[in-house]
Amino acid sequence: MNFLGNVLSYQHFPIYAIMVLFLGSFLIAVFGENRIARNILALLSITASLGFILKLVGPVLMDGEIIAYWMGAREPAGGYAIGIALEVDALSLFFALLVSIAVFVSGVYSIQYMNRDDNEKEYYTLYLLLCGGVMGMVLSGDLFNMFIMVEILTFAAVALTAFRNTVRGAVEAAFKYLVVGCMGSTCILVGTAILYAQTHTLNFAQLSQLVPGDVNTATKVAFALLFVGFGTKAFIVPFHPLAADAHGAAPASISVIISGVLTKSGIYGIIRITYFLFQSMGLGTMQFLLVFIGSLSMFICVTMALAQHDFKRLLAFHSISQIGYVLTAVGLCTALGVSAGLYHAINHTLFKGLLFLAAGAVLHETGTTDLNKLGGLAKKMPYTTVLFLVGAFSISGVPPFNGFASKWMVYQATYQKAVESGNIGFLLVTIIALVTSVLTLASFVKVSHSVFFGQLPEGLEHVKEVSFGMRFAMAIFAVLCVVTGLFPNLVTSYLTEPAARAVFNVAHYIEAMGFDGSAVTEPVAVSFSHVGTWDPVSWLLVLCIALLSVTIVAVGSKYDNVSRSKAAATESKYELFYGGEAQELSQLGGDDLFWGFKHNWRGYFNYMHRLHSGIVNDYALWAVVDLALVMLFSLIVL
Amino acid sequence: MTIVIGALQYLGYVLIFPGFLFCFLAGMLLCGIDRKLVAKMQKRVGPPVLQPFYDFFKLCGKETIVPAAAERITFMLAPLVGLAALVVIQLFIPVFGFTAFSGMADIIVILYLLLIPALAIILGGAASGSPYAGVGLSREMVTIISCELPLVLVLLAVAKTVGDEMGTGLCFSLSSIAQYQMLNGSLITKISMVPAAVALLLIIPGETGNHPFDAAEAETEICEGMLAEYSGAPLGVFKLSHAVKMLTLTSLFVALFLGGLGTGILPLDVLLMFLLCAVITAVAISFVHAVTARLRIEQIFKYYWTVVSALALISLVLAWYGL
Repeated sequence: MNFLGNVLSYQHFPIYAIMVLFLGSFLIAVFGENRIARNILALLSITASLGFILKLVGPVLMDGEIIAYWMGAREPAGGYAIGIALEVDALSLFFALLVSIAVFVSGVYSIQYMNRDDNEKEYYTLYLLLCGGVMGMVLSGDLFNMFIMVEILTFAAVALTAFRNTVRGAVEAAFKYLVVGCMGSTCILVGTAILYAQTHTLNFAQLSQLVPGDVNTATKVAFALLFVGFGTKAFIVPFHPLAADAHGAAPASISVIISGVLTKSGIYGIIRITYFLFQSMGLGTMQFLLVFIGSLSMFICVTMALAQHDFKRLLAFHSISQIGYVLTAVGLCTALGVSAGLYHAINHTLFKGLLFLAAGAVLHETGTTDLNKLGGLAKKMPYTTVLFLVGAFSISGVPPFNGFASKWMVYQATYQKAVESGNIGFLLVTIIALVTSVLTLASFVKVSHSVFFGQLPEGLEHVKEVSFGMRFAMAIFAVLCVVTGLFPNLVTSYLTEPAARAVFNVAHYIEAMGFDGSAVTEPVAVSFSHVGTWDPVSWLLVLCIALLSVTIVAVGSKYDNVSRSKAAATESKYELFYGGEAQELSQLGGDDLFWGFKHNWRGYFNYMHRLHSGIVNDYALWAVVDLALVMLFSLIVL
Repeated sequence: MTIVIGALQYLGYVLIFPGFLFCFLAGMLLCGIDRKLVAKMQKRVGPPVLQPFYDFFKLCGKETIVPAAAERITFMLAPLVGLAALVVIQLFIPVFGFTAFSGMADIIVILYLLLIPALAIILGGAASGSPYAGVGLSREMVTIISCELPLVLVLLAVAKTVGDEMGTGLCFSLSSIAQYQMLNGSLITKISMVPAAVALLLIIPGETGNHPFDAAEAETEICEGMLAEYSGAPLGVFKLSHAVKMLTLTSLFVALFLGGLGTGILPLDVLLMFLLCAVITAVAISFVHAVTARLRIEQIFKYYWTVVSALALISLVLAWYGL
């Protein structure tokens, strides 16, 4: 009985959450021939993992406990951490929560979504391997384990990108991802090795204790290597082209994981090395590095998205653009900034997951994601349309959906930072963030017009709504999008603020593992003061009253005096223009919808077009140049 | 009992003043004044000032036709959502000292709330399935992008100026901006705010889609764009929304730059605000309409991102250095 109680103690739950995913993966590899057994195993392991993580929310996020778990009870000996450790503080658990929710929903969606593919057994094996890798990475307490998990997730993601290898470009995308992803992993490995040589430990807590006091050329180089390595995992500029290719080719359920979870693990790594290992965020120059790369990702990727005409590639670029918001906010190094960044990270997982699932639903039913070939699906797929619109409004920051709540905090945080530091550069960041948001909206207007509204093209007359299982998975994300948008105070006080406090309380993180954290400066006073006011629930209430009264008045005054147009859409006379003009006169090409904007920026767009050559050699070169620049930067300023 | 009275009071705000009834009357009147003034400037007789009311009621009595290619629910719902969203924005804009709902939304939120009516008309147009609407919505979206940058700059400049003076560093709250102006006089009297005020005057016709920035509706080339397939009551509601948007933006201008003129007596204040709105309409909408020809969409974009943004930027930089 005592043994059972011991096994079921929540101290073990972090390792269980990782283990069940890997276990599920191996069991499916062995017993996965049978469809039912496979589905049950997959659902069981993702549900169990979600359950373990949810159980940890109470002690870790609410009570602020840090779980220090030594595998095989190998406690540190002689002042050095030898064993493998998991360390779960509020920040780790926050990311683990995102991972498990996204994994759960995408797993539920996969069951119906993948039913027309071969090799489902391999799919689930790799899928759970990928999920386990990400989960292990965010819960890991030492740097080398983190590297192992990064390797697992990178290779699983590469294999899954090429999963539909009959799709044009899938193998090419996987190859690009493999090349640059491996460069990133190698950077992490070399960085880890240098730190190990310098400090004789791999444990995060002990590294956080030793590294900041002993910054030399070697550790500076290690910083640059780790930063660039995690940057490739987050796909931040200059690694964004890989994301576009990978998302375009991968199945939608995998895109959810790559965009919603894998990029977050990169952000998690960056937070860990900047705030914990090197404790360098107090430096203005380090804030500059993060905010600069974040703003660059934000703006470049949204403009790249405007030029896309493939649904999933477009979403991929938006994904990186939103990661730019997260990185910018985190880079401000203020309590409000970190909280805003983490809030946006949750929201990004939710709405981007929803959008990718909607894109997957369209692909599943129509067989294409080319915006120029789609249209008018709102009549055929009404539920998907509504769910897509929720996602689109969320990502474009339309009140009262969740994207607005977090972006609005990001604006406040950047502007507050600008005023407090007197640095006009942060003001520019606020403006870029606001403009990026409206460009995002433009891009999603384009998608909704060219996929769900407008004319139904020939050949799509027999499209049907997707099955209940897929709609259910999308609905989970949609409901969460609305809830996190309507109750921003709950999200900040229960999820992001504990995590942000953990970010600023490095000493506690070190001491929880039994090391001496006294060298670290005392935790800064963390205040989450807001400048603005936004009360979504009351606003929604007022809007509903207003809408209700408009509707009553409208219906009362013969608003519903409606008749259907007699013009049948099939008659050639009414094909495009009701006046009967020829089709060539229409300037409705999906990729050309915002001609007025692009025309003025044609120099920029042409330059970007030339720059993104699609050749993997170029992208590898970018990675090398990026590494060289970051290395130079860290040698000078760190 | 107090709850009931409070609820009734708020209901009154939403339905009567400064909500629906007020928006309807004042918006339509502004629209009528605008049409009359443009006619006078062009040496025409012009319609009577009450013409928008006649148009609206006539449209409401007409039959509504939904095109065969249209997605019906979105098509019918879009005008209503757009109008309701606009009315709600009006509730947040202070009438000098009086705000119906304060502490619920600040100026950045209002910037975003202003997107909802535009989105409603865009989605309504998209749902109609007409290619004219497709062209129209593309231009409407580019117009929104064009106006967004200068509008952001104007709002940030105001927030910084007021925040500096109040000692908080930043101030996004509209009622605080109104209060500040009650104490220290209108913001337009500050030299640093004059370029921002001019910029906002230039933004107003772009946001409302008035001449010469009406490429999105261009009757002569794309048959009113997104409204091409609309008829009957939904069309009337869109026309009403357009009128209310004129009221919202002009009263936003009054709240941001001409606050502090109020007398403290609500009916007088409302009258004063309406008169100021009419003056701003005359300057920013009617006059510009009468003397210019319609711009192409890429010209609109260029104009806003260069001339108007530069004006707003001057204000922001001046405010930043506390001048």
